Amino acid sequence: MSEGDLGREFEKLLYYEAWLLDHDRLEEWLALFADTVRYWAPVRTNVGRGREELSRDCLLAYFDDDKAGLTMRVQRIRTGAAYADEPPARVRHFVSNIQLLEANGDRATVASNFMVFKSRRGREETLFVGCREDRWRRIDGAWKIEERLIILDHDVLENLTVLF
Amino acid sequence: MTEWNKLVDRERKTVSPRVFTDLEVYRAEQERVFGHCWLYVAHETQLAHAGDFVTNWMGEEPVVVTRDLTGRVRVFINSCRHRGMRVCRVDEGNTRVFQCPYHGWTYDVQGRLVGVPQYQESYYGELRKEEWGLLEAPRVESYRGMIFASFDAGIESLDTYLGEMKWYLDIVLNRTAGGWTVLPGVHKWTLKGNWKLAAEQFGGDNYHVTAAHESMGRLGLVPPGKTSGDEPWVRDFQVRTDKGHGWINLAIADPPAITESIGAYQARVQREARQRLQPAQSALVGCAHVGTIFPNCSLLFFAGFLTVRLWHPRGPDRMEVWSWGLVETDAPPAVAALARKMHILTFSPSGIFEQDDGEMWGECVETMGGVYRRRFPLNYQMGAGHGRQDPEKPGLIHPPSTEIGVFGFYERWHALMTESQKGER
Repeated sequence: MSEGDLGREFEKLLYYEAWLLDHDRLEEWLALFADTVRYWAPVRTNVGRGREELSRDCLLAYFDDDKAGLTMRVQRIRTGAAYADEPPARVRHFVSNIQLLEANGDRATVASNFMVFKSRRGREETLFVGCREDRWRRIDGAWKIEERLIILDHDVLENLTVLF
Repeated sequence: MTEWNKLVDRERKTVSPRVFTDLEVYRAEQERVFGHCWLYVAHETQLAHAGDFVTNWMGEEPVVVTRDLTGRVRVFINSCRHRGMRVCRVDEGNTRVFQCPYHGWTYDVQGRLVGVPQYQESYYGELRKEEWGLLEAPRVESYRGMIFASFDAGIESLDTYLGEMKWYLDIVLNRTAGGWTVLPGVHKWTLKGNWKLAAEQFGGDNYHVTAAHESMGRLGLVPPGKTSGDEPWVRDFQVRTDKGHGWINLAIADPPAITESIGAYQARVQREARQRLQPAQSALVGCAHVGTIFPNCSLLFFAGFLTVRLWHPRGPDRMEVWSWGLVETDAPPAVAALARKMHILTFSPSGIFEQDDGEMWGECVETMGGVYRRRFPLNYQMGAGHGRQDPEKPGLIHPPSTEIGVFGFYERWHALMTESQKGER
């Protein structure tokens, strides 16, 4: 498969993923992640240009989940009693700037930008913007995300009830 | 006109919705409460070296907290004396000077004005630099690593201010000789809601757990309702301390150790804690603890991590939460890593507990400020008259659930709001 074809394959995968999230198909969304996944979003800090270290040891994060943590988030929503998202928000994921950064056999690294719009209860409308760097691995013929690094562009967030 | 004396009804144990929604009350509160309390500003482990600094807020005042070259912690108002521009524009770092980017006035870490561009040419050497140093909080004191500052030069000592609360704080802060270390980074998020609703919940509301965190209960992750018999008085209780501080003791067992080495560490720390603490405090080792230091600093100790947070006021119906994660200083890396992950999963802005609370505080203020609704007070009567003194523990003890501690928060708040408006300008 040429690099262009592979790039288009990940483009399709990422659009499909966004569609799953926007249509509350969270169990299918979970299946896109490898059992060993790390899903994390480090906090942002205002420091001088070039001085922010997102990979700093022990830096706090808005998410730092393994598969069990992600699964628990989905199960919690399914109880119908997760009141920060019940009644649920209307959420729309926009994915763009998809770039195949690296491809090597059964492994690939893909970057993308996102905008996530959330609306609920008349007044509350929130926009989350950032980028993701995903490390994919082909397991039993299917691409799975082994690591998702979410870099949010906000240093002060709002109640974080959406998934990226 | 606000009738200040009617905002809190001490007899009926009720609080007016205006306390949470009224702009006039909010503005007065900035001066009368935030101007006359000890406010948490930083942890000593964030300022290990001379010149280290972090920025923070004291109410609506931006501050920069610095360890000066003599080793003393100072809390400066982050505003140039010339035009008011922010002089420190990053969240953290190490420096020898703070230079205002507007006209270049420069202050050293003792706060002295040491540099004025064109001092001879344009000020003719006449500006009295010694009178134009950075403004600073006149009082800075710390308790077991937690640094507090006050704008009130005449305020009682931090030790006296914390009062009975110290005994409970020690169960968490004095567990080990090494104490706690702040992890890098701060969780920051804004929520709709009045800051006091968050402060009161941490200070004495475990009544909400079953309903607000029902999702966690359904997943089997919150123990069902209160226990029976005498046990609630012993390990499952809330405390109303003097000075408006509140404490919740929850008999939740530590989560199961994931590995043998983590289990061994937990056992060792608990042994050390029992040795360091008084017997009555030792009996509470192994519980979860939640508390609020009046007015807006809360702590939560659970599953091996400690979070310390501030509910920064941002108007009557808005707050900005700043929350730090702490791990035990001598924790092995695997233990610290697990504590960090538990903190993020449970009580970060995406936390599976935290999210629910943020939802409640917003809709409370959205609904209670209307011209009709606000005539009718909120009920804080639960448990009134049923607290007990315990010969071994300070404060008024009550098993879950009660609002005597929460109401103590509002009595303290009300006292400050109605006292002669000392120093108000």
